[in-house]
Amino acid sequence: MATSVLLACGLNEQKLPGFVHISEESNVDGSFLISCILGQRLRISNAGTLLVCLQHHYQHYFNAGMRLGYNTNIFQGKTLGVIDVLSDMAGEGLASKWLRNTEGQTLTEQLVEDIRAQVESNYASRNSYTVLIDNLSILFNLGASKLQVQQFCQDLAALAKERENLTVITKLSNSDIYQLTDNNVAKLGQVRIQVLRLKSGVFREVDGKLLIERVLDEGNYACEETRKEVLYKVNDRNVKIFAPGEIGVKV
Amino acid sequence: MLSNLVVTNQKVVLVIDELNRERIAPKFIGSLLHEQGQGAETIKALPTGVSLKHVATFEALITECANTKNNNTAGGEAGDLEASSPRSKSTGFNVILPTLADLLCYQTPAFIFGFLNRLRRSENVCRVFLWASPQHLQNPHADYILAGCEYLAELVLRLESDKLLSLISRKPGGGVSNRRYSCQVSKTSFQVTPLDGGLPAGASPKQPSPESEQTPEPASSTFKIELDEDEVVARNALTLPYERTCEPSEGNIIYTPDADDDFDEEDPDEDLCI
Repeated sequence: MATSVLLACGLNEQKLPGFVHISEESNVDGSFLISCILGQRLRISNAGTLLVCLQHHYQHYFNAGMRLGYNTNIFQGKTLGVIDVLSDMAGEGLASKWLRNTEGQTLTEQLVEDIRAQVESNYASRNSYTVLIDNLSILFNLGASKLQVQQFCQDLAALAKERENLTVITKLSNSDIYQLTDNNVAKLGQVRIQVLRLKSGVFREVDGKLLIERVLDEGNYACEETRKEVLYKVNDRNVKIFAPGEIGVKV
Repeated sequence: MLSNLVVTNQKVVLVIDELNRERIAPKFIGSLLHEQGQGAETIKALPTGVSLKHVATFEALITECANTKNNNTAGGEAGDLEASSPRSKSTGFNVILPTLADLLCYQTPAFIFGFLNRLRRSENVCRVFLWASPQHLQNPHADYILAGCEYLAELVLRLESDKLLSLISRKPGGGVSNRRYSCQVSKTSFQVTPLDGGLPAGASPKQPSPESEQTPEPASSTFKIELDEDEVVARNALTLPYERTCEPSEGNIIYTPDADDDFDEEDPDEDLCI
């Protein structure tokens, strides 16, 4: 159901690039990508996944997973670890550690510490490990500055470089508003997926466009890159991918 | 090659990248140095990432440059200071800084300018390279910071597009040159060709110079303003009337009488006692 999406994005392999960034333009919803990637990683044998829930709480990902054909509850506590910031804040209110500067640490520093702790406790026993961050722009709403978010992503990129078979996948919504942050995060990785709206308006058959940019080789003076554009439609239980021009208006 | 233009005696080199090549910035600069025979032992680079948060990282670089040079200079401390300063310029280190965007992520602009100035004044450093991509500068005063870096730099390389770049060079004597080049870039080479009608020093790169506007007329024009070789020779051989007066000869009147003239060769004033 999600295989075509991941195939189009080049994320269907067991070994993913070290850092992948998803840029989501305003007025489009790229959450389906996180759910598709999560499902694929959970299905791989002995592959660890850490889901950092900033935009939705864990229940949302469970519901989305059920529609796409996988049950996250089976994996939670085993190959799936969850840092559910929203649920913590809802349960503990202002006493939540995410809303307080514990030991003088900022929100992003605490988050990096938690992610590192989870990776260090689970990475050794896994063939591969994937950290999914959904969604960086929520950190702005929680009081983080743009520089702090940038430092947060630098820390994650450094973490991915320290360990082989560790992949960090980040998503930033409203990337057209946070253009500088988006550029600085995207340059840390080898793959950038932009979720774009259709420029000419709205269409019943297509929800938006995916622009996948991948760095194949870094030369001394220029990079060898590939760019690929596909259209997508999110249905109730699957996601369809179309090549540009495949779908037309029926008169 | 681009390295011929960039790896010179100018100490501070700023690369302004409009093409989003920031991910390969250290490799780009390293390749330029390598092409000019600067070995890896002459290159010092600040580490990127979280370590930039600590001032000690920057101090360590300066200390490392000083210590390494002192270790390499055998018996030179007792020698003339004046003799060592031009030698240090040629045997100093090439310092590759992280990109300006990465520096601004962890340090204030004031600290960055101060550090750049210290490197510029250091005798142990022969060149400093700083890469800046305007579309990555996360600071409300990014334009001002970039202008400040341009002020500190002695060589400003602006990668404008895939085919064009400009180079502003400030010489120690005060002269400034601003030249534009076309470029052919591949993964392993960067060839540049000067554009004809390069801009004079101090001219804005967006203002066309008068010389560049005098392009040869196209073949379809009927108005001919250029001279052939024969015409040039004829023009040079022509002596203008005012030039003939400069010739050393006496003036005289040559009169040729007409047929109706009653020309009398006798002097009519002969009977006058003048």
